[in-house]
Amino acid sequence: MQLSSLRAIGISKSFGAVAVLDRVDLAVHPGETYALLGPSGCGKSTLLRVMAGFETADEGRVELAGRVVRRPSPERGMVAQAGTLFPWLSLRDNLAFGPRESGRGDTEEIVAGLLEATGLTEFADALPRQLSGGMRQRAAIAQVLANAPPVLLLDEPFGALDAQTRLRMHEWLRSVLAARETTTLLVTHDVDEALLLADRLGLLSARPARLVEEIPVPFGGARGRHTLSDPAFVRMKAQILDRVMVA
Amino acid sequence: MPVLTDLAALANAERADLPPARVLSRGRRRWRRALGVVVPLLLLGGWALASGLVWISPGLLPAPWTVAEAGRDFFFGERRTTLAGVVAFDGAGWGHVGASIFRCLVSFSLAVVVGISVGLALGLSRWVADFFDPVLNALRAVPLYAWLPISLVWFGIGEGAARALIFIGALWPVLIATADSVARVPRAHIETARMLGTPRQRLWRRVYVPSALPEIVTGLRLSLTLAWMCVIVGELTGTSTGVGAMMNAARETGRIEEIVVGMFVFAVVGYGADLVLRMLTRRWVRWADT
Ligand SMILES: Nc1ncnc2c1ncn2[C@@H]1O[C@H](COP(=O)(O)OP(=O)(O)O)[C@@H](O)[C@H]1O
Ligand SMILES: [Mg+2]
Repeated sequence: MQLSSLRAIGISKSFGAVAVLDRVDLAVHPGETYALLGPSGCGKSTLLRVMAGFETADEGRVELAGRVVRRPSPERGMVAQAGTLFPWLSLRDNLAFGPRESGRGDTEEIVAGLLEATGLTEFADALPRQLSGGMRQRAAIAQVLANAPPVLLLDEPFGALDAQTRLRMHEWLRSVLAARETTTLLVTHDVDEALLLADRLGLLSARPARLVEEIPVPFGGARGRHTLSDPAFVRMKAQILDRVMVA
Repeated sequence: MPVLTDLAALANAERADLPPARVLSRGRRRWRRALGVVVPLLLLGGWALASGLVWISPGLLPAPWTVAEAGRDFFFGERRTTLAGVVAFDGAGWGHVGASIFRCLVSFSLAVVVGISVGLALGLSRWVADFFDPVLNALRAVPLYAWLPISLVWFGIGEGAARALIFIGALWPVLIATADSVARVPRAHIETARMLGTPRQRLWRRVYVPSALPEIVTGLRLSLTLAWMCVIVGELTGTSTGVGAMMNAARETGRIEEIVVGMFVFAVVGYGADLVLRMLTRRWVRWADT
């Protein structure tokens, strides 16, 4: 698969009189995981929804590998906090949804591979409501990955999970992303999450959101629970928290 | 694909976090269901007692055994030839029940097809809904009996009018349930499907209908019940077959036990039909069981 860059160029968006995004410029490099941090209500979800094609920007444009994109598409998979599995489909059918829409012949192999990668093979026939919160979010990400999207958009995908489950999900997602050539834009207000998963961070101001600062994350490939106690990690987390609080 | 996390450990940790399965043991469920027989038996006992002690005049409500005998004659009695236009009773039970069920199913099926199609159109398009909501709501407010005279004029006495009335009675619940539930399908499901590659014109099949199905099925059940209730209205318009026709004839000749037999038949068949419909649709609505 071709690695693709994802760019937001001068995106502005208001809901009525409320300006939410103020000329946001953002470039996620091919294959990179980029985390956007910002205070609650600053417009993170709105930005991601514009990039996914669910909302149209008042100004500006979104480019994938240099092409302007507007409509929702399987090449930009998005997972939100609330989870996006279809409650009436079994886990297996949820994972098969995308590949079936595109009429692929190898749907079964794709689904089997994803069930294995999520550790959910034995739950293939369960309904979403029969899964735990962590399983559901993993499955929602797998549902999107079934289309092998060049771009993955994640909107606080683990925000509703307890701290331990969230940490397990971080470790899991890192391993999954490492194995794929996906350009990932992750939105979060959890500094740990950003530092554990991302190659770069972007800090957003309070509403209307502007990109205030970009920070490279210096930690290497193998990050996990042990990283949390790394002195360099602790120091960086404190610095970033400081800036998020002022921003 | 190389997976670095220990998935076995992950699965173990999650097992404790699974939502509890709603467990009601099989034996216990059967026992609970048996409770439903208690009240009918008590009512039957009270009825028998009241009749035996002649607290109620047999002219108002015949004894249970009189009704049972009439029921036996209705279904297993010797068939006698009747004059044309006279509604048969002895041995005619299966024929009447069959005629009523057939009539009901023909009209119900048509009501389901029309109800779901129109309901989908209303639920899927704000435009269609804005155009037709007032008309449909006004039509819905016309009581079934108010349709009777015009049905007789349009379809003539007998079969046509009966089917029209059953159709009208059965139409609204499924139509409204479909329109309402389709209009309330969560936006997030639509967005997810679009993002996963479902083209707009296929959304109704992939998202709207499956998501709305539990409520549509509730509408179907209500429609079937209403269709069955309207059978009697339809058959009062002068059909010579059907349980309602039999009851009407029994009223004219003052045979109350036959009327009561008819009421029992309506109750049993209606209850049975609902059970069958629930069984047939169970796998579509299992996901929404609470
Ligand atoms: N569809 C909408 N209509 C009106 N206001 C909205 C809509 N979506 C979001 N907003 C407003 O935009 C602001 C940013 O929302 P959001 O992007 O969800 O923030 P975040 O994800 O950073 O918490 C909030 O004030 C919210 O109330
Ligand atoms: Mg948000």
